[in-house]
Order: sequence, then C-alpha cells, then structure tokens
Amino acid sequence: MNRKWVAAAAVATALAWGGPALAQDIRVGVPTSLSGPWADLGNQVKRAVDFAVNEQNAAGGLLGRKIAVEYLDSEGKPEVARKQAEKLALSGNKLLVGLIASGEGLAIAPMVGRWDALYLSTINKTDKLTGDTCQPRVFRVNRPDAADAVTVKPWLATRKEMKWAIMANDIAWGRNSGESFSKGAQSLGKQIVSENYAAAGANDFAPYIQKIKDAGAEGVWVALAGRDALNFAQQAKQFGLLDKTTVAGVSFVTDNTVATLGDVSKGIYGIVNYSSTLDTPANQKFVKAWQAAYPGTEPSNFEGETYIGMQVLFEAIRKASSDKPGDVAKAMAGATFDTILGKQVMRAADHQLEGPNFFGIVAEQGGKLRPVIQNTIPAAEALPPPDGSCKLPS
Amino acid sequence: MSVQAATSLPAPAARPAAIAFGIALAAAVVGIVLPLLVASPVTLSLATQGLTNAILATSVGFLIRQSGFVSFGHATFFGMGAYVTGLLLKHTGLALEAILPLAIALPAALAFVVGLVVVRVSGVAFSMLTLAVAQVFYEIVVKWRDFAGGDDGLSVTLPPRVFGLPTTLFQEPGDMFRIVWVTLVVILFLLFLLARSRFGRLCFAIKDNEERARFIGYRTLMPRALVFAISAAIGSIGGVLFVLYNGFVSPDVLHWTMSGSALVMAIIGGAEFLIGPAIGAVVFLAAKDKLGDITEHWQAIIGFTLILVTVRWPHGLVGTIWHWIRRRGRGGRA
Repeated sequence: MNRKWVAAAAVATALAWGGPALAQDIRVGVPTSLSGPWADLGNQVKRAVDFAVNEQNAAGGLLGRKIAVEYLDSEGKPEVARKQAEKLALSGNKLLVGLIASGEGLAIAPMVGRWDALYLSTINKTDKLTGDTCQPRVFRVNRPDAADAVTVKPWLATRKEMKWAIMANDIAWGRNSGESFSKGAQSLGKQIVSENYAAAGANDFAPYIQKIKDAGAEGVWVALAGRDALNFAQQAKQFGLLDKTTVAGVSFVTDNTVATLGDVSKGIYGIVNYSSTLDTPANQKFVKAWQAAYPGTEPSNFEGETYIGMQVLFEAIRKASSDKPGDVAKAMAGATFDTILGKQVMRAADHQLEGPNFFGIVAEQGGKLRPVIQNTIPAAEALPPPDGSCKLPS
Repeated sequence: MSVQAATSLPAPAARPAAIAFGIALAAAVVGIVLPLLVASPVTLSLATQGLTNAILATSVGFLIRQSGFVSFGHATFFGMGAYVTGLLLKHTGLALEAILPLAIALPAALAFVVGLVVVRVSGVAFSMLTLAVAQVFYEIVVKWRDFAGGDDGLSVTLPPRVFGLPTTLFQEPGDMFRIVWVTLVVILFLLFLLARSRFGRLCFAIKDNEERARFIGYRTLMPRALVFAISAAIGSIGGVLFVLYNGFVSPDVLHWTMSGSALVMAIIGGAEFLIGPAIGAVVFLAAKDKLGDITEHWQAIIGFTLILVTVRWPHGLVGTIWHWIRRRGRGGRA
C-alpha cells in the first residue's frame, strides 16, 4: 500500500514538474499584481493584455506566428516581482510587460539584460526608470511622474488654496509624485504644510487625515492607487476631509476607483493619463472593440495605457521582423508608433514614449460618474526633455 | 602519531568525522557536477535561490538542535547579511573583499550582544523577543528610505572582480548553484564537527538541563549566546549569497514571514537532524513554486502540510526516513 502511494506521488510529482513548451509562439510574459493592494490594477493589465493578444491573434498573429501570454502574480512586492519576472524570462517569455509598483519595475530593470529579455512598462511612474537607473532593455509607454507634474501645474496656478498637504504611498512612485508636487507648488508660492507617506496596503488612514486637518491644509495632493486609494477616500469622507478641502491626485480617482466609490469621488480633481472618452477615430475603434469583448464595460485608464504598450510592442516586433528581445529593443528605440492616442515617438535618449497628458475632475458625463477631461496637455509639452541622468550606450 | 597513541584516542570521535568529511567531499562533487545535468536555467535559478534559503533554514535548525531555542526572527540576520553588503557597496568605497567578512561579522556580533539578553529566557518568551528584535530592524529599513531604499529595496551593483574572480560568477545560475551548494556543505560539515566538540556537547548538556549544567560548574550564558551568534553568522552567509546572486534586496527578506518560512522549512525537514532544515527548504520552495503556479491559495496547502508533518511525522521528512531505514535495518517494525 505504502509503495503504491510512493509510486503515485512520484508520478504526480514528475507530471507536475513537466510542462508543454510553445517554442514556435511569440511569447509575452506578464508578471503583475494579481493579489495584494494593487490587485485591481493588475487585473486591469491582464484584461488589456488578453484583449490585445486575442485581437492580434484573430488578425493572423505576428510574423505568421501566434502570440502566447503567460501571467504570474508579483503580489506588488519588488522581491516577488523579480523572482516571477526571472521565471517568466528564463522559461522563454522574454518580452515582459505589466508590473504595477515602481519598485517592482526598478527591481527587475538591472536584471533584464542578464536574462536577455525586454521590459516595457505600462504602469510604473517613477522618473528613475527612464532616469538615472535607465537600462538598454527597459522602455516605458505610460506617462512618468515628471509628465504628471507638468500637467498639474497649470491647474494649480489657477487655484486660490495656498496651504497643501501630501498623502502618498511610501514607495518610489508615491515619493516621486510627492516631491514633484512639492516643487511645483512651491514654485507657485504655495506652502506644503503636511507630508504623509503610508505603507502600501495600509488600512488605517485616520492618523494621516487628522494630521492633514490639524495642519490647516486647504488642498491635498493624493498619490495612492488601488485598495489604498479606496481606503483613503472612504475614510477621508467619513472624517469630513473631502468636504472641506480641495482634493486632487494621480492614479487616485481612476475609472475603477470612481466606479467603486460613487458619489464619494465626485468633485475630486486628478491626472487622467488615458480616457475612453477621447475623441479620436483610433480610440473610438478601440473602445468599440473592447465593449464587444467585455460587454457593459469601457477601457479604464490603466487598460488603455497597457493596450498602448501592447500596440508599441507588436509594432516593434513587426519593425524588427523578429521577437528576439535585442532586435525588438533596437527597433523600439527612437521609432514612431501608431497608437490609439496618435503617432508617438519612443525617445532614444531615455526610452520614454512621448504623448499627451490630461487633467480632469470626477463628474457626471453621459449619465455616468467618471473622470472628465478638463485640460489637455499636447505631446510636445507634456513630457519634459530628458534630464541627462539616463546614460544609455549609443 | 604512533599507533598506540592513535588507538588511545577516543576512536568513535575520530571515525565519524572522517566519514563525515568523506560524505561532505562527495556531496560537494555531486553539487559541482549537478548543474551539468540540468538543462533548464529556471530550475537552476530556483535551486540556487532554494539553497540560499536552505542556509537560513539550517541556521534556524542549528539553533533548535543545539540549544532548544526557537527563533521567530532569524530573517533579521539573513537580511542584515544582504543589506550590509548592499549598503556598504553603495555608500562606501570599501572593496567587496572587505565587505563580505563584515557582512557576516556584524550580524554575528549583533546576535551575540542581543543573545546575552534574550537567551536568559526560553520557550515562547525567547521566540517573542527574537520576533520583536526582527521587527525593529524591518521597520528601520522600511522607514530609512534615503539610506536603504525603503519598501522599494536596494539594487546592488557588484564590482567587476572579487578575490581575482569575475563577479559574473555570482550571477550565473550554474556557477552560483555550485558556490552556494559547496558553502552549504561546508557549513553542515563544520556544524557536525561543532556538535561533536567539547563546546557542542556542553551546549547539548545546557539544552537538556541548564540548571544542572550550572550546578556542576559550567557558565551557561556565554555558550548559549555564542550558539545564537553562530546561527546568526550562518543566516547572514545565506543573505550575502542571496544579494550577490540577485543584485537586489528588499525589506521582504527581513519580514517576520521570512523568519516563519525558515522555521517551517526546519520543521518540515526535521530540525533535530543536521541536514533536515536544508532538505525542508528545498521541499518547501519546490512545493511553493509548483503550487503557486496551480493555485493562489498555496499558503493554505503549505499550512495543511505543516499540520500533517507536525502531527503525523513529528521528526520531519528526514527523521521519518531515518526511522523508516532503521526499522528496515532491524528487519521489522519498531
């Protein structure tokens, strides 16, 4: 009896350790937060990647080959992200997209070359990724903090509130966003009266809210995302902070958080990196196809940005006539890509995609509460020129 | 040495050491050859990371085996080994050759000082104190963002060479597998010798009955603090190898869940056996990797396995196999 069990266990173990190889496919690896504080963002990434891959496969694939995608949960933790990205890359999924937290992107960036892979950020915002820690095999399509700082400044200049507080995640992105906002506000003669950085996944924001109120802040800049954004918004409403102060943020009031928060989010200002309401033929076509694939929904900001990433990746593979990461990287740097936001250039100097950025407010539009764009910053102005900190080999 | 003198020495002490040396040598050779037989870089990389964890589990198991103390905070020493290496490389001009011994000596020295206090208590109180000390270090690293990178961790760039060897050796899965494997074998062999030494036997005596050892004239505080420091040094070696391989370290390695995992590895493998925790680590990480691919609820399965092992096989995997072999050797059921 015991021997039978041992034999059965050995067979089961052997089967579990094996796995089918799909060498002929173009393989995309997606390490993303399928659990943890940013699971909602990770699932948006997954939906967008699935959509883009299915759409491309339905159109005949790429280079006459099918595109296959594999997901692994990064849990929003840099250490796990590094392990999962390595696992994906070393098992042949060398075209990587989809990490959420900036720290995750920074953790894998120095390793991508070692794995002979390529990483394309669609969510990571820290300036460092395309700044002093830039890497030859790392690219970014989404707007970095520096672009968000440029976008919020014209709005901030019109505001009468002089005392501002910062409430952000204590991770690379939150710190970067807080510092950028402070600089922008101070250059306009405004004062930062309270700076608060909460650990990712924090449940209790009451001490921070009380501190902001005690400091006499007239406005609050919020750089929280996912579950943290929801927790903070609900508690800020309960403590009366949302009613008495002007609140603006980045990744704070997104399509998904607005859908969950409802009226609590009404009147909150924020950066809008992508909106399904953008009136361009390419975007309308994308939204229509999205609604056919996911009935009753519209692509969110993170889904739109990730889709742009997939457009850039596919076009680079086409341009390179190869899916080898080194060839794709060469084809990507400095090239122009046709995306749902129009033609955008991937800067060769720092591997950052140029593109427009938007600022808006949560309001009713078309019978639905959503972030509504009030101000558009064109591509030529949205992204500051490379600051020279990125030294890529020519 | 004359034959007479040799035979007058306690033979049982010398022969097992020679046998153990032979086994260690054979194990080292197996480890050096093994990467040639593994084609998958993913498997090699996972195995390399598993072995660094095996060193941490060995340090936890050694502490349990040698002194009876169950540490809930040993990730501190693993993390310190990694962070001291990373931080000294980033913030000082010290050579890696000087940093490596410091990264082991500093956690060991800290453990010795902390040990002088915490080993005075035993049982749950000791476990809770180690947990408290560990959380202090975790919070320091998380909050000291400018220095240690906070939650985002620290990327570590190695110099091109160390001790005349290219540092790329440390970041290539096959080569690093060999380095970590041989290090683990050397640690296990030294721990075997230590357990059989006078100091080791004194520690066992203190573990069995501290009051009796004190009553017959032994000082019991210093040996216990020393065992704690040695186990910390072993943990920090794991941390140093971890950061050399990964080129990155984040506060996750200092978190209590890491200490908990190391303890689970030691229990699954069998903490009362020298090699048990290392085997437990490899089984734990292989199971975690495979279960993680199948279900998001892999922790629940690991938890169930832990309950099963604790209740059904209290001596761990190695202990169960050992007892099974002994029963077979005796030709019947025990």
